[in-house]
Amino acid sequence: MKNPDFAADRALAKDFLSNFADPRGEPKYLNILQDVANRKIRAVQIELDDLFHYKDVDEEFLQRVTENTRRYIGIFAEAMDELMPEPTEAYTVDEDRDILMTQRVDEGADGGADGTDPLQRMPPEIKRFFEVYVKAFSKVTPLTIRQVKASNIGQLVKISGIVTRCSDVKPLMQVAVYTCEECGFEIYQEVTARVFMPLFECPSQRCKLNRAKGNLILQLRASKFLKFQEVKLQELAEHVPKGHIPRSLTVHLRGELTRKVAPGDVVEMSGIFLPMPYYGFRAMRAGLVADTYLEAMSVTHFKKKYEEYELKGDEQEQIDRLAEDGDIYSKLARSLAPEIFGHEDVKKALLLLLVGAPHRKLADGMKIRGDLHICLMGDPGVAKSQLLKHIINVAPRGVYTTGRGSSGVGLTAAVQKDPITSEFVLEGGALVLADMGICAIDEFDKMEESDRTAIHEVMEQQTVSIAKAGITTSLNARTAILAAANPAWGRYDMRRTPAENINLPPALLSRFDLLWLILDRADMESDLEMARHVVHVHQNLESPALGFTPLEPSVLRAYISAARRVIPSVPRELEEYIATAYSSIRQEEAKSNAPTSYTTIRTLLSILRISIALARLRFSDTVAQSDVDEALRLMQMSKYSLYSDDRQRSGLDAISDIYSILRDEAARTSSMDVRYAHALNLISRKGYSEAQLKECLEEYASLNVWQIHPNTFDIHFIDA
Amino acid sequence: MAGNPQPFNTPPLLPSPRLSTSPPLLPTPKSKTPTREKKRKEMVGPQYDLVGNPLGAVRATFERTAAAAAAESGGSDPVAAFRGKDWGACDLFRSFLLEEDGLDKVPVLNASNLGLIKPNTLVRYRGMVQDMLGNEYYIGAFKDGSTWRTNKFTDFSPFSMPHPCDSHLWERHLFHCVPAPGQNSWTMESSPGPDLRRMSSCLATELREKRKRDGDKDDMDVSENGHEESSALCKKPKEDDVHVSSSSNEVAEGVPEMNRGDHIPGSSFSCLVKVYDMPDSQVKLNDVIEFIGVYTFDPELAAPSDNPDDIMLDLIEDVIVQLPPSKVPRLHCLVWRKLSSRDFISRPPVVEPSPSILKGIRQSLLSHLTLVLGNDELAAQCLLLHLLSRLRNRVDVVTVGRLSLNFTGFNRESASIFGNQLYSLIQKLVPYSQAIPMSIEYLNTATLQPRKDNKSGRLVTGVLQLPQGSHLTFDETLLQTGSLTSKGVENTMLLKNLMESQKVDYDFEYYKLDMATDVQLLTLSEGKSNILPSDLVVPFRPSSVPTIDAGSEELENWRWYLATVRSLPQSTEPETYQMIQDEMVSAMRDDRSLGCSELSRWLTMAQIMASSFGEKSLSLEHWQMVKELERLRKQRLQ
Repeated sequence: MKNPDFAADRALAKDFLSNFADPRGEPKYLNILQDVANRKIRAVQIELDDLFHYKDVDEEFLQRVTENTRRYIGIFAEAMDELMPEPTEAYTVDEDRDILMTQRVDEGADGGADGTDPLQRMPPEIKRFFEVYVKAFSKVTPLTIRQVKASNIGQLVKISGIVTRCSDVKPLMQVAVYTCEECGFEIYQEVTARVFMPLFECPSQRCKLNRAKGNLILQLRASKFLKFQEVKLQELAEHVPKGHIPRSLTVHLRGELTRKVAPGDVVEMSGIFLPMPYYGFRAMRAGLVADTYLEAMSVTHFKKKYEEYELKGDEQEQIDRLAEDGDIYSKLARSLAPEIFGHEDVKKALLLLLVGAPHRKLADGMKIRGDLHICLMGDPGVAKSQLLKHIINVAPRGVYTTGRGSSGVGLTAAVQKDPITSEFVLEGGALVLADMGICAIDEFDKMEESDRTAIHEVMEQQTVSIAKAGITTSLNARTAILAAANPAWGRYDMRRTPAENINLPPALLSRFDLLWLILDRADMESDLEMARHVVHVHQNLESPALGFTPLEPSVLRAYISAARRVIPSVPRELEEYIATAYSSIRQEEAKSNAPTSYTTIRTLLSILRISIALARLRFSDTVAQSDVDEALRLMQMSKYSLYSDDRQRSGLDAISDIYSILRDEAARTSSMDVRYAHALNLISRKGYSEAQLKECLEEYASLNVWQIHPNTFDIHFIDA
Repeated sequence: MAGNPQPFNTPPLLPSPRLSTSPPLLPTPKSKTPTREKKRKEMVGPQYDLVGNPLGAVRATFERTAAAAAAESGGSDPVAAFRGKDWGACDLFRSFLLEEDGLDKVPVLNASNLGLIKPNTLVRYRGMVQDMLGNEYYIGAFKDGSTWRTNKFTDFSPFSMPHPCDSHLWERHLFHCVPAPGQNSWTMESSPGPDLRRMSSCLATELREKRKRDGDKDDMDVSENGHEESSALCKKPKEDDVHVSSSSNEVAEGVPEMNRGDHIPGSSFSCLVKVYDMPDSQVKLNDVIEFIGVYTFDPELAAPSDNPDDIMLDLIEDVIVQLPPSKVPRLHCLVWRKLSSRDFISRPPVVEPSPSILKGIRQSLLSHLTLVLGNDELAAQCLLLHLLSRLRNRVDVVTVGRLSLNFTGFNRESASIFGNQLYSLIQKLVPYSQAIPMSIEYLNTATLQPRKDNKSGRLVTGVLQLPQGSHLTFDETLLQTGSLTSKGVENTMLLKNLMESQKVDYDFEYYKLDMATDVQLLTLSEGKSNILPSDLVVPFRPSSVPTIDAGSEELENWRWYLATVRSLPQSTEPETYQMIQDEMVSAMRDDRSLGCSELSRWLTMAQIMASSFGEKSLSLEHWQMVKELERLRKQRLQ
């Protein structure tokens, strides 16, 4: 390795600084230097990106800068000293320093005659008003603290971490200035390390000639200091491998980089990894060990807000690719809580909850909410709580509470007396904290009646009004509520009406867009599935293959945040369709004796919201009829568990029951065909025999309801 | 010696020992290079004294290999290739220790012989990795004139390094190890080592005097805040103490009466282990490992209290200040291995665990358990299954293989009789065990969660920092009505989390990290415990008072049995699984309340039952046995 030629490198540096032009054509570094001369800024950052893109770049020079950065900072500083232009604007004068400098310049002319006394020559440090920093490449992925090894010593590295401790900012001496009592000259001593040995005897020529042994007095005011702060950086949780604890690294910040970070900040730093030299007693104690630290060159904070979620390059492509996939809706739904088996429609509804519809504000000031509210009611053991917890994990902002564990005040807002100022302040409760997010309330039915009323307002108006202890105000609570509840008697009691089981007042019920009833059906199919699952887990010690690769939660989050930016509108043609659908639902409910749902005008708004959410998922600007159909289907499926029992209770015989099963199956798969084997499976689960199936097929075929294939016995519905 | 400001100059540690018989530093070079393949039976005597002067062997091999490499490569830096790799020194030690039965010649380091062992000799240390202190960079090799010398495996260089010299900076990992919490004293019998009391007494007194000069600070380890409890314990070591206490006031001091017992006396000391050339992921936190390496302990170097040099560097986590070399020994590890419960068993009765032998031992253990549990056979069967359970794997949120047990029907008196007997038996059977009194006082005050103290940069330990395979017994009969402080609520949530998912959250101030554990949990309570929801709830119906004590040979057999059965692999024929699936479905049809967790538990119990008989694969017979147990248990619950 040939020895580096520093003079040549200085020439290269000078060349780069004076000639580099940024994409707009401006001489970037010359402008910076001009600002420095005008005392506007004090830190000059040299970006390696610029060096890389420089037209006359020397690859090896770049390499040398990266590997021996400390030295090259000095070289760049010297180059800048030479290039420093005259100040063009008037600047505020820093009295002490400027007076000293003018004096020194005068004396320097005199002192030169005394011979070139090295200690009387002013070190260039003292004349500088700026610091040089070299910023690492921006495209390089930052290393974790544990990846920094001994081979990185002396090099420029980029790491990310969380700040755990900050020391105070202290002045660090760079040039110590002494005056001699005897000869009166100023002696300079450059300090490059942490500790230095102060001079005691005057080494100037005059004192040496006279053997005067002049006493040197350290002049702190004339010395040059630099701001210095020490900071401890700890690894981020995601970088720590399993079974290990996070490592820490000490970072030294100088000059303009001080006071930029506080404990708790997540930052990305680039700097030079250096060993700490030991002196004196420490050296003897420490023996062979070298402590290391990072000399920081640049500090950037991480942004982690959801709205400002900056999609990384490949994530955008991924999302575009996914958007083109036709099946994106069910894929996303299945990735939502992959280990919970089944509940496909519930997961679809939860996906729509995450996306929501855009908030609308009408011309007359009335606000129409866009968030969906969903209530999951069901028997114990159907994984409601797990689904809730999972959604809170995926959602950008989510608060999880339980009915028993929260009071009305805890949900909305509490008035507290500030101990310092003795004033009353409002502390937001769970619903306020979940503003622009999701609030999941478990054990909803166990909540006190009085507390539940607090939720009414939040659900519809999306604000919380407070009038207590002299404070009258309303806070924003634009949350989507996800509630999980158990039926009135623990398990769904089939002998009673749905209204009695769902023990919620109609006022609250109507506010929920979807009320999902998850019943634990005594289904041989699901029992077998569960047994198979348990056995597979014990046998293979891993979960059974899902048949597809679920998407990562981060991709989900990115997709949803991208989807939320779309604002679809409802075309005129659909308005008629939706209105018809709504009125038919109302009619059906009016006719039946024991209605399973309570439909109000709010239901119409719900249909609209769900359709818009579906359109958002497709990144489309208009709502299509398929969206409305899907919305209606979801609303129907939410009560699916009850339908078959309804029919049984109304005393239908086996044949009619089989027919209704087959018809439901066709409706569920949205096709006109049902395969015979599949039909056999379905009815045998409900306890009917093949003979009964054949009888039913023949009877209804003669009624021309469907056609039976002569060989395979597949069923094909005839469109009426 | 003080006042010499030359860096890297080692003060001599001890007066030159005329007592030991260490061979000259450089042995007469024989023609054989120390590789594992070549048998050295032909050699006359040991080439190096690996136990008494391990560093000599290290340096000699290094210099030889470096010279050879320099001769080959012709001048360019031969040592650069040695970074992070072993040049043959560790292989030398490994073959000595593992193949030539050298392990017995190496003494085991513990608090009693801390001052007796000569520094820079080979020792063994068994402990749990409590804290990982990152990497240390040290000058690994330097050029002294024309020869390359190494400083690997030492803290101080024996040669004075010329100040500007070619040198290489290498890394080593630092681990702070402590004796495994809850380690029972029977585990100490398996590591004899040479009797150090035979060493000359004047050496010992010299060292003792030196330490006294250091200032008579307390013996307790400076940095182990959470270990106050165990060291208070160790100040009065008791053997098999059973206290029948009627009031819970005794528990208020934080040391439960059940906890006094067979713990290792004087075990509250820690060791700073420096490991070389290890890829990052091999040693994990809370692993129990045996380290064999060079021991250094410098009582001469008292930690300086006030040094003006150090005012600037207030953020540097000075390992030397916190773990001063005068109180905490350092071990430079040459060879290490993870310890499992089987390694504690010194004399295994048989080599091959055949089903017939295992069946016999099982029967004797079961009958003893039945006696201890007052002739309640169902409880004894369930307890056996519980003691044999082990976490096999985590699948999503389900922990497969876990079987926590809750005995209900205890009250204060029966807890003190049966509970203490049971706990002392457990102490004799498993390697690590602890008893936790679940009183309000305890929940509100105990430090369960390990927490990182960012001021000192160390992980402050908590009760729940446990090695794999620990056993915890919770006594809930001490619980009374009262209110929990926020700390109490936190502790309860930690315990619940431990029960359900076998994970403990460690607090790192800005975020929490989950550490996986594998702990067996036994609860004794009056009614079904709601705070600690166990997998298996068994009402306890004793009919007699336990009186019998087990003999030491029986105990050894049982220990071996438990350790072996837990590590038996389990596999099953697919047909058996098919049958079990059908059984499950029919069971679900009869009883609608069965869910995933019950089925999983039955399958776990059946698999453990099969292993307990030494069978490698599950058969329908075992399934039926489990069903029978379930039936009896259900009967009792009504």
